[in-house]
Amino acid sequence: MPGVDHCLQEAMTIPGAVGASIVDYTTGFPVATTGAAPNEDHEAAATGTADVVQAANSRSLFVSTIPHDLLEDLIITTAGGYHLLRIVHTEFDSRLVLYVWLDRVRGNLAVARRKMQRLADELITT
Amino acid sequence: MASTKPATPGDLLTQVAGERQTGALVVSGQPGGAVYVFEGRVIYAESPAAPGVGELLTSSGRLAGRTWQSALDLGTSTARVGRLLVEQGHLTQGELELCVLGSTYDAAYFVLAQPAATIEFLPGATHWLGAVVHIDASAIVREVHRRVKLLDDIFPNPRIDIAPVIPVTRAPRERITLTAPQWELLAHADGQRTPADLALLLGRAGYATIQELRRLAALSMIELPRVRAAESPEFVRLPHPRGAAVPIDHSVAEITGASPVPVISGLDQAASRSAPPRPEPAHARAAPPNADPPPVPPPGDHNAGLNRPRLARRKPGAKLPKEIAATESPPVHQGTDEVLLKRIRTALRALR
Repeated sequence: MPGVDHCLQEAMTIPGAVGASIVDYTTGFPVATTGAAPNEDHEAAATGTADVVQAANSRSLFVSTIPHDLLEDLIITTAGGYHLLRIVHTEFDSRLVLYVWLDRVRGNLAVARRKMQRLADELITT
Repeated sequence: MASTKPATPGDLLTQVAGERQTGALVVSGQPGGAVYVFEGRVIYAESPAAPGVGELLTSSGRLAGRTWQSALDLGTSTARVGRLLVEQGHLTQGELELCVLGSTYDAAYFVLAQPAATIEFLPGATHWLGAVVHIDASAIVREVHRRVKLLDDIFPNPRIDIAPVIPVTRAPRERITLTAPQWELLAHADGQRTPADLALLLGRAGYATIQELRRLAALSMIELPRVRAAESPEFVRLPHPRGAAVPIDHSVAEITGASPVPVISGLDQAASRSAPPRPEPAHARAAPPNADPPPVPPPGDHNAGLNRPRLARRKPGAKLPKEIAATESPPVHQGTDEVLLKRIRTALRALR
């Protein structure tokens, strides 16, 4: 029975995963968290995550030019890590994003992205 | 019954959670609501201003109304509606948890953000949904404060959160960019719906609705509520009657003033045929001439007795002529009905 906690545990098994959370991107609130967060602060990380998603969603040259061409994921790379954001599209009204922080050396971007896609789908489909 | 001494609902929630109690913290007021605590941790919150789990799931079409209702019928008495839905395969555990988390934080904002209200704690009360999630009370209280501040950062006017939403007639700029939720709100705001009505209608979270409305206010796309309207809760906005360019009594007054011909009983039909501004419907003129002349008030009390154009005789059950029917409905009662319906709805919700 994959619940929210199970989903985050699975996310932590992605090679190189350091921390994971599910964030409400309208309010910048971490609905669930596990592992580490940048600067040891999950709430600040969630606020930042929300800002990034809002920026991509609203100041949009990237999305919404074609109907139903919705934002799927955002990938931010830094010298030391990868930050992957995957939008969780629930049928009921919610604005959630799955966030995973990966170590750059141990992480594999393509593997992580595919795994996150599966996790986000499993979370909301029977 | 616990004391109602603490100043804010948030304080009492922290206290109750500290004592690891189980029960419901019921806050009355505008909009009010309840927070359900199980052994010191929050399991659910509900408020009339925030769509609950059922509204979110059914209005989005995720669950059929029948499915939701049968889960309610089966699981309400044992407080396991949430678990039933997952066990029967209607929802995944993940969906249920995310939905409950979302609506709990949403409702908690409306229950806890208001400082002045009567609060009581009902020990032992549980919610029919069952314990799907367990949230630390401190996390909820902190998040509510943060959400209050977030709103004030956007546009500091809390009256927007409760007053009926009135879109401006003319956009303040040549070009405006709206997000999809903002467009949805403007398209459904009819000048009477409050933010809570809109959230329920659209199946959107109450807080997210308010957030977008504050943004719209910052863009000057909705009118700012006047202070008077917010202070008197009984104040009802009457709808502008649509399709009636000229109020009916006005046109009658005009005719009596303008007509130099004294209206004599019996000659009335002839007069109505010759005087073009007479507001009688067209088929009144087509009435058979040998029909009994309708009783005509004497010219003296013409103004007092005649407050609507007289109609030709109709068969029982026949509809009113279109132009009369359009202006017939008294706007006063429409407003009253709105209030009555709202009261009934609140009462029904309390019974659930």
